[in-house]
Amino acid sequence: MNDSTAIAPMPGSSKLAILAYLGISALVYVLMMVLGLLMRMGQANWLGLPADLFYQIMTAHGAGMVGISGLAGSAVMWYFLRRYVDLTVGILWANLAFFLSGVVLILGGIFLGGYAGGWTFLFPLPSHGMGLWGPVGAACFLGGLLLIGVGFLLLYLDVARAIISKYGSLARGLGWPQLFGNSDETPPPAAVVAATMVLLVNITGIVAGAVVLVLILVNLFMPEFEVDALLTKNLIYFFGHVFINATIYQAVIAVYEILPEYTKRPWKVNKVFLGAWTASTIMVMAVYPHHLLMDFVMPTWALVLGQIMSYTGGFPILVVTAFGALTIVHRSGIQWDMPSGLLFLSMFGWAVGVVPAVIDGTIAVNNVMHNTMWVPGHFHMYLIVGLVAMLFGFKYYITGQDGKPGMFDKLAFWIYSLGGVGLSVTFLISGYFSVPRRWAQHMPEWVGLSQPAALMGAAVALGAAIFAIRFLTSLKHARAV
Amino acid sequence: MTLRAVIIMALGMVVAITATPLGHWLESTMVSHVLVELPLLVVAGIIFALPLKPVSQPLLNWVNRGGICGLITASFLLAFWMLPRWLDTSLGDPWVASAKYGSMVLTGMILALSWPSAHVITRAVVKIEFLTMFFRLGWLYLISPERLCNNYLLTDQIWLGRGFLLVGLALTITWAYPILFGNAVLEQQLTERKLSID
Repeated sequence: MNDSTAIAPMPGSSKLAILAYLGISALVYVLMMVLGLLMRMGQANWLGLPADLFYQIMTAHGAGMVGISGLAGSAVMWYFLRRYVDLTVGILWANLAFFLSGVVLILGGIFLGGYAGGWTFLFPLPSHGMGLWGPVGAACFLGGLLLIGVGFLLLYLDVARAIISKYGSLARGLGWPQLFGNSDETPPPAAVVAATMVLLVNITGIVAGAVVLVLILVNLFMPEFEVDALLTKNLIYFFGHVFINATIYQAVIAVYEILPEYTKRPWKVNKVFLGAWTASTIMVMAVYPHHLLMDFVMPTWALVLGQIMSYTGGFPILVVTAFGALTIVHRSGIQWDMPSGLLFLSMFGWAVGVVPAVIDGTIAVNNVMHNTMWVPGHFHMYLIVGLVAMLFGFKYYITGQDGKPGMFDKLAFWIYSLGGVGLSVTFLISGYFSVPRRWAQHMPEWVGLSQPAALMGAAVALGAAIFAIRFLTSLKHARAV
Repeated sequence: MTLRAVIIMALGMVVAITATPLGHWLESTMVSHVLVELPLLVVAGIIFALPLKPVSQPLLNWVNRGGICGLITASFLLAFWMLPRWLDTSLGDPWVASAKYGSMVLTGMILALSWPSAHVITRAVVKIEFLTMFFRLGWLYLISPERLCNNYLLTDQIWLGRGFLLVGLALTITWAYPILFGNAVLEQQLTERKLSID
């Protein structure tokens, strides 16, 4: 709960910017889900999807989902963080402008330039289009990512400036004097702690991404500059994994702010909470080697680190948040509605979604499971039922759609949540049976699993479309505080 | 030390680099050419700009609002002399060498006149871009398959690549420390050091 007695209303431009972020993200989520559905329908033999188009769609789906999650998560963070620190509205708009410019480049690179090498742009794939794409298509994709990175860099630098102006340093923003020292000062609010962690890891990730993206761009046009494939892969996964992880750490601020409002109980920031966020700050940056467990040339210590961090990395924040949410809600007399329901669903999706990742983070399991549908099973559960549910919960909250939910909302809630769980489970079962991921065409034996997955995917897209329509048609009721 | 004395020292440094064997010695290796000589010239430019600040402020407010134009110009000047071809040419062509000396001093002056008026976010972006360029250039010099300059060996390039990475790392730590722990910590440490010296 915020520490100010009265929260000043947002100026019109701030409110408009936040609603623009959320509106764009609602539409893009639905669009990206439709793209996902097309891929699953192709694998289910219900749609004749050419392989080159499948991989273009896969690239757009992956990059689009990660990017839009970053954008929507940053809107949640900005909305609540402005209650405690003085943020710059112009930077918020600048980030959106960079983001949209980057999206235009990325979509041009994919659907006009033919780039279909996946969001991971692993070396030397961008420069080896084999007739499907040329250096210009790949360069547009990489340049688009760079532009989006610049926008987010501006945003996080502004967040850093605001936190340092108020609290003196980022260490204070993380509550280190209270955690490690004997400070009697009131610790910073949960939103400030989370935002500090996010900006630290994301600025570091963006710097790594900015270095590797430019090096691959150089390689595209001057192939004699051959980058080290393993180092490149390390940097790409460091940047990518940190960025997608940080989306949920931004969105979770909604849980810290909205649930206390509903239950009239404060979200307590104690040493355990501060310790969890500090531990995760380091672990989120150290966990990425679990994407490279199959790279036998990686140093053994890095692989061991990847496994240990996979076991421990996500838990501190998840545990303090899930436990905190349960205790704050228990016997509080909370009135369940769409915001609180979706936020609580997101706790479930987050907690359950990390389990397959922990299993896959075990080196012995990873060697047989990593390139199967198991891994998409993990991140679809984590993102659909965890992160995206959290974001739509916030969208219901900001448009004032609390109170008794209507029939449509209830229907959408159950279609979306059951569809999300069902889709993720079909991915996991496919992975269990060693169905490979990233295959445009599925063997006849696998089609039986792809067909229910396509149905579940349709349910998720339908539920999300109803959420999006409900949000977009309620914008006039949007709250300013 | 007075401002006049500092300016005279900076002028002496520029003369030593441009008109004595010191410059030739610094240019004998790629590392000292790029990571010592060029930064020294920039520092001299920064010092030369000190007395200009009050005089030029009204003009700067007009043409260099927020320091943006100046910082972009300085970035392009610095980037130009990161191109191996021009670095190489400056060793054999006195006109190009003179352009290099003059433009590096000018870069320092532009930086000094732009930096104070730049917004804190602009400064942070410039610093981060500076860091990433050090890492990118370091990596590129390390993987370059052939000599990029006639005057320097492949091993010179590799040493410069390592130098870029080291400077990038050092700057990362130097700039990140006060942001993470606050100037108060730095001031306290400086006070303690002063007390221990006393």
